[in-house]
Amino acid sequence: MFNRKLAALAAAAVIGFNACGGGATTAPGGSGAPAGSAAAGGCTVGVSWNNFQQPRWAAHDEPNLKGTVEAGGGKYISADANLVAEQQLTDVDTLISKGAKVLVLLAQSGTAILPALKKASDAGIPVIAYDRLIEDPGVLYITFNNQGVGEAEAKAILTKVPKGNYVLIKGDPGDANASTFLPAGWDAAGLKDKVASGDIKILNGPAGTFTDGWKTEKAQTNMEAIIDKAVADGTKIDAILAENDSTALGVVGALTAKSYGFPPLSGQDGDPANLNNVALGKQYVDVFKQANELGKAAGAAALALCAGTKMADLKLPAGLIAAGVEPTAGLSAQDFKTPGGTTVKSFILQPTPLTADTLKTAIDAGQVTKDALCKDVDPAKAPPACK
Amino acid sequence: MTNVAEAAPISGQTQPPARSSLRDVLAQTEIDLRLFGMLVALGLILLIFNILSGGKFFQPTNMVTLAVQASGVAVIATGMVLVIVSRNIDLSVGSLVGLVAMTYALLMTDWLPNILGMNAEFPFRWVIALAIGVILGAGVGALQGFIIAYVGVPSFIVTLGGLLTIRGVIWYLSSGAAVSGLDPGFQLIGGGAQGSVGGTVTWILGVLGCVAVVALLFNSRRQRRRFGFALRPVWAELLLGVIGCVTMLGLAAFANNNFWPKGLAERYAAENHITVPAGGLLIPTGFPNPIILLVGVTLVMAFIATRRKFGRYVYAYGGNPDAAELAGINTRWTILKTYVLMGVLCALAAAIASARLNGATLDVGQSYELYVIAAAVVGGTSFAGGIGSIPGAVLGAFVMQSLAYGLSFMGVNSPGQNVVAGIVLILAVGFDTYNRRRGS
Repeated sequence: MFNRKLAALAAAAVIGFNACGGGATTAPGGSGAPAGSAAAGGCTVGVSWNNFQQPRWAAHDEPNLKGTVEAGGGKYISADANLVAEQQLTDVDTLISKGAKVLVLLAQSGTAILPALKKASDAGIPVIAYDRLIEDPGVLYITFNNQGVGEAEAKAILTKVPKGNYVLIKGDPGDANASTFLPAGWDAAGLKDKVASGDIKILNGPAGTFTDGWKTEKAQTNMEAIIDKAVADGTKIDAILAENDSTALGVVGALTAKSYGFPPLSGQDGDPANLNNVALGKQYVDVFKQANELGKAAGAAALALCAGTKMADLKLPAGLIAAGVEPTAGLSAQDFKTPGGTTVKSFILQPTPLTADTLKTAIDAGQVTKDALCKDVDPAKAPPACK
Repeated sequence: MTNVAEAAPISGQTQPPARSSLRDVLAQTEIDLRLFGMLVALGLILLIFNILSGGKFFQPTNMVTLAVQASGVAVIATGMVLVIVSRNIDLSVGSLVGLVAMTYALLMTDWLPNILGMNAEFPFRWVIALAIGVILGAGVGALQGFIIAYVGVPSFIVTLGGLLTIRGVIWYLSSGAAVSGLDPGFQLIGGGAQGSVGGTVTWILGVLGCVAVVALLFNSRRQRRRFGFALRPVWAELLLGVIGCVTMLGLAAFANNNFWPKGLAERYAAENHITVPAGGLLIPTGFPNPIILLVGVTLVMAFIATRRKFGRYVYAYGGNPDAAELAGINTRWTILKTYVLMGVLCALAAAIASARLNGATLDVGQSYELYVIAAAVVGGTSFAGGIGSIPGAVLGAFVMQSLAYGLSFMGVNSPGQNVVAGIVLILAVGFDTYNRRRGS
């Protein structure tokens, strides 16, 4: 819960920046030196994690970051701040004194980390803000496009069901992610226009239904009332846009309890129980962020910075990052305007929508085991990943 | 505030308040005015929603959904009455529901097959899981009860600690991930078309209920005559019998007017080679299993509270702890037992919640403590101790859930639902307090 909230906060912040920044300007084409090509031997990359206890970092981010650095001939050192901002400042000092030539920071606090940024710039060490933004004009920002999550959810469902009756299930009403940013992604994918043109009718009011605390049980009771209402009105639910996986799980519970069948349903996070539902045909799409690729991108960028490439000239090596995850703006570093008004260079990776046909990606990424993914799946109707 | 045990039937007919004729009639029939008032309130709420929705609200399908949604909270509320009556509180129920729900899910998906080698084909595996869950609930309840009753730490603190600790333990059990895929037998506890008793059994239960009402009335009249107590007028007995029977049979008929969803009925027909008639295959669902469970729990709990020594001790202690102690009641043991009972009820509610979800998430049961306390209090339980009734708490749960469900049905979002629930909670208790003060 806590982690999800943190992530949501971070995501909210990031999307906020996107919204303020407007269109990113295109970097001069062709002038970027490919990252990693000139990796100096013995380049030491220092990584400061804010909280290594959270499984994601140890399972996905670190091995890929480390692997990419070491494959390029670099050396990987790291420290874990255990959620303490002061500890992270000490960690950065230690990493610098251990000889780090590039720093990768997953900041516990975007402001408390600033003294460390000062030290790094005094020492001439470039800094990569990993996953979370640091408000400093000197950083390279590597993260996922969080507005893209909502967009990917809606795009998948709208392609599957271009016309009909939609139900919108949103998260906690107090979370800007639920009320503003994910719906902005839905609208960007065309939901708003289709509602305006009458192709799509929202059954549960114009704004949809919020779910206190993103609670699965609450989503279930809400959805049951929506199904009852639809049945009483004699309307059919053709598709359901749920903002994340915990609410999507509640929707599946309600559909099961009501024996309603399973209209196309969205979600995000790549939770194993939901991926299992995708395999079972109970959820149509699950959007998730491939942390592995984020780690690779940071590793490659770190090596390039080590070799003296300027941030503006950074370019990720072609083929390093999985297809579909690469930044939409291409492999060169792009300008990114922060909410603080500064412009930094950035790589913004794309989230991955998973449907029954593409579930293998989740197994390959180590997000879910085949056993968990294919639990109770009827072999006759099994998606490719379960065969 | 009166602290007098008020659970015994009010012998109103000895001094009928002749203020209004309705009041007079009610006094003659000895109907509990508080319960009667709550039934009227519940009826009004349903009626208002029915009007607002243009007649679409008051239908068997919707009422069954509402009842199933209220069942988990109502089951726990029956126990919360005893806890509050004995001047304690239990804030840990939500977390305990979550812990037991997660235990059920892990037992059936991981522990039973992988540690004990019982795979899905093992007969009645879900019963074993259920038993383990109930024992776990009772155990946690006993531990908290022991600390409260024997060590003497205030129940608010102990169960607040429990709320935090147990929720944390759930995280460690599941590493934060949702666990799904329970045994088909277990899922039936949660209701739904297949998790209901069906048309025939529903009629049988309705008839049994009718017979039971009549038998109870006869028995009570015989006992009163035997001990020389005042009798109800015959017309009142007849009225109660007719109302009771009509209600039981009416509920059965109403529940049987809820049919299997079309898709499911057609699939069932295809699998069993039944030709679907022109009007569609109408298979009545009848009472859903969680409601049967709730009725059973309510009857047992009401019996314990009003007819067993333990129950009377709880009310005696709540009315006056010192007097109860001096009268030789083992008050500590009594308090501990209320928490054990609470743990068992949490385990049953957890079974309903996880069966409905076909799994468990980190947040199952979250904020149940608030809904349960609200249900008990709306149902007439007093924080001053000694006062509270089990059917009242169940009705309280239905009142609160009918508001939540009705608003949800009308498309009112959760902030609006919370506003209404909060106001109704205060109004209900305010009205109750006002009535009691006037009565005393």
